[in-house]
Amino acid sequence: MFYRKLIILLITILAALNSFSQDCNFTLNGHVFDETSKLPLSFVNVFIQETASGTTTDEDGNFAFDNICFGEYHLSFSHIGCDAQKIHLDITKDTLIKIGLLHTPTSLGTVVIEGKTNELINQANLSISRQTIEDKLNENLSALLENETGVHLIKNGNGISKPSVHGLYGNRLIILNNGIIQSGQQWGNDHSPEIDPFSADKIVVLKGASAIEYGNGNLGAVILVSPKRIEREPHLHGQINYAFESNGIGNSLNARIGKYSSKLAWRLNGTVKKSGDKKTSHYFLNNTGITETNLSIQLEKSWNDNLYFDFYGSTFNTTLGILRGSHIGNLTDLEQALSKEIPFFTEENFSYQIEAPRQNVSHHLFKTKGKYFINENQNVELVLAGQINNRKEFDVRRSGRTDIPSLSLIQYTGNIELKYSNDFSNQWKLTLGNQNIITDNSNNPETGILPLIPDYLSWKNGFFGTLSKSINKSHFNFGLRYDFEFQNVATISNSTPREIVRFENKFHNLSGLFNYKYDLPNKQSVSFNTGYATRNPGINELYSNGLHQGVSGIEEGDHKLNTEKALKNTLEYEWFPSTRFSLSALAYHQNFKDYIFLEPQDEIRLTIRGAFPVFKYVQTDAQIYGLDLSSQFSLGNSFLSMLKYSYLRGVESKDGAPLIFMPPNSFFGSLTYRVKNPINFSTKLILEDTELEITNKFVFEQKNLLPDQDFVDPPSSYNLIGLKLSSNIIFSGYKMRSFIKIDNLLNLKYRDYLNRQRYFADDTGFNLAVGFNFKF
Amino acid sequence: MNKKNLLLALMFITAILFTACKKDDPVIPDEPELITTLNYSLTPIDGGSAVILSFQDLDGDGGNAPTINGGTLEANTSYTGILELLNEAATPVENITEEVEEEAEDHQFFFQSDLSNLSFIYNDTDANNNPIGITTTLTTGDTAAGNITIILRHEPNKIAAGVSDGDISNAGGETDIEVTFPINVL
Repeated sequence: MFYRKLIILLITILAALNSFSQDCNFTLNGHVFDETSKLPLSFVNVFIQETASGTTTDEDGNFAFDNICFGEYHLSFSHIGCDAQKIHLDITKDTLIKIGLLHTPTSLGTVVIEGKTNELINQANLSISRQTIEDKLNENLSALLENETGVHLIKNGNGISKPSVHGLYGNRLIILNNGIIQSGQQWGNDHSPEIDPFSADKIVVLKGASAIEYGNGNLGAVILVSPKRIEREPHLHGQINYAFESNGIGNSLNARIGKYSSKLAWRLNGTVKKSGDKKTSHYFLNNTGITETNLSIQLEKSWNDNLYFDFYGSTFNTTLGILRGSHIGNLTDLEQALSKEIPFFTEENFSYQIEAPRQNVSHHLFKTKGKYFINENQNVELVLAGQINNRKEFDVRRSGRTDIPSLSLIQYTGNIELKYSNDFSNQWKLTLGNQNIITDNSNNPETGILPLIPDYLSWKNGFFGTLSKSINKSHFNFGLRYDFEFQNVATISNSTPREIVRFENKFHNLSGLFNYKYDLPNKQSVSFNTGYATRNPGINELYSNGLHQGVSGIEEGDHKLNTEKALKNTLEYEWFPSTRFSLSALAYHQNFKDYIFLEPQDEIRLTIRGAFPVFKYVQTDAQIYGLDLSSQFSLGNSFLSMLKYSYLRGVESKDGAPLIFMPPNSFFGSLTYRVKNPINFSTKLILEDTELEITNKFVFEQKNLLPDQDFVDPPSSYNLIGLKLSSNIIFSGYKMRSFIKIDNLLNLKYRDYLNRQRYFADDTGFNLAVGFNFKF
Repeated sequence: MNKKNLLLALMFITAILFTACKKDDPVIPDEPELITTLNYSLTPIDGGSAVILSFQDLDGDGGNAPTINGGTLEANTSYTGILELLNEAATPVENITEEVEEEAEDHQFFFQSDLSNLSFIYNDTDANNNPIGITTTLTTGDTAAGNITIILRHEPNKIAAGVSDGDISNAGGETDIEVTFPINVL
């Protein structure tokens, strides 16, 4: 179980001396080390909340408090480049504790194994911690991942964004919300994942093919968004987060409250957000406001350490405005919009008003999980989950029809999953599982428009097994998966009279992986991963038919598409010689057979609304390859620097022609200065863990593109500078984390290749954000 | 709870899934917004029979190609032009021109031709005294062959420079209609 062996928190109470003595005569000694390298960590700030006393660890990572009274205490640990940790402790005797802190920024490639129950993530991945989530309250899920190597954002304006990992997105990228595959209209490039990152404690990106447990389609990556188990804390605890941002005059508020009890542990989490029109370097982006209301509940219950049960329910509701000037009619309109320096409909004034074009999306999830420990080494897990996704998109329409959605979809999804795992004594580990997912997708005929995506019913049934073994310095990992998918589709013809045309499909998918990691001397390691997977074409790729207003083109699926096949190889090198330096390099190559993509056709289709470009889903053999580099190093005891570089290229195999919509290369660097000692303004007001960070992001121009592959040339390279000042304010024993952050410090005018709004307007300008986090 | 029970439950649920694997028939939406037909009838002011330019695309976007009928006009002649928009896919046929009239402030037709001496004058105005273009006067010049393009813009900026004179450059908005007819001026 998680809490027996929490990855970030290793507490071992060793000594039991002086169990009977005076009340305030106990000592508390401790040792703090880096979880990744196991080396001692010096200069860690240790703070006891109840006594408001603090100290720092010495060269050997040790610290000591004397004259501690009998009682309950909350201790916090913080260090440059680490996620701050808090623990609860009963002092009844002299106590020695050991704490492992995880270096968060360069956890690319870290092996994260949670508990004995094999939530095995044994390969190229990186993770976003709770503190990073808290410091980005004003952002959405995708934006949290923005500066990670190999991760890029596909945007439609500032409010709508989805992640792309190693150039793959949409149907090829799986997002798991608390262990359940996020189901919705993931095919659309203008559809954000409907998840509140604030309900999560950790976001992990699995870049390799190792994510075999999580379903087919995983030719790309898997993003895990997970809340952690409720802390074993008998008191009522919670936190309140608030953030303000100047660009869009946005306010975000999040509150979380929870309590552990052996009867039932619970946690509630709620978030509300509202922001108005964003601004570029010199004009407003009208109708780009956002509102969001989210709530989640988490319940946990254990019986005699053998049976564990949890329930998770969440609701996510958002209204997203889309730049009015990006809503256009035919090809002539597009050409005219492209030639405008400032988009049509740009107004002088800021507004919170969200009018058409806009999206109203709600997503509800419930999940229950039961886990039974047969014995020390074996357990079975049963998961039942349901999701409802309701998406309505509104366009500017004639005769008062603006209030009627032009796209109205409702999707119900049910999951049943069974998993068995066994840790054999001789370092063999086995996991077997079965997943069933049934999806029912319907168009609401209220739109008065022929649907772009047809109604369908699909059923997926997948079986998987993984096996891992460590022999001395070698770690092996095998995985195999088979998926059956059944689709029953009811399309409406676009000839007259309209009639229903039915399709029925059965697909078989197979995927397999092999991973080998070898530990070299001096904390170096090399790992090789090879994975083969097939993905059957999605409903949109098979049956899209009609005008996609969002992209002002006619999109046509092809019901004869073949299953896509891919072979991905990755080679990774890691070096963690000390807590002061780390380096990691990941090279990957993915070879596709029958890669499916939406290709602009030479054909222009004439309609009464004028000419429209035609896009068709076609297949080709393709290759995507790249390199991710990241390094972190300390300069003295006060400075920490981080460097990241991503290179990516996608080409068609037959003639080397570029693939469209591939992320440009990028470089990210940051330098953090940490004030070593607390700043004392008075005995009552202390600033602790004060850090100043400067970030620099350079995105290269996407040169790997032919002129006739897009309406306009890709935008030029740009360089964004950011600043962040953060500190823990301790006032009369209460601690509050606060930050001031500036994005696009120089108010640079720029456009980004992966942001579709670039056809019409600049990207966002200067933004100042202020945030507070109060834990109780 | 034991493994057997779990397995039984799973089998039971799978059985339910199997029984319901045909998607219900979708409801075919009414398409009240569809414009299938544009007729531009040109009647000589001095009398004579009308010339009708027509564009018809009964199955909407995609599907079959539209039918376009151009026409022959007399040189140096003025015509009264009247536009008619229809949805012929609906029964009874819907008159979309009325919808445009009701929202006249948010709509404007634009008339363009590659024949330099062919001119258009707006004959109607909305509540703000800006042109709509449902009725126009067309005057031909000397003998030539070319095209007439008719554009309907939704939510144009009617007060932008040149827009009320029929210049589309600063109009903005989105195009609801854009059709081109071949014409002969004899």
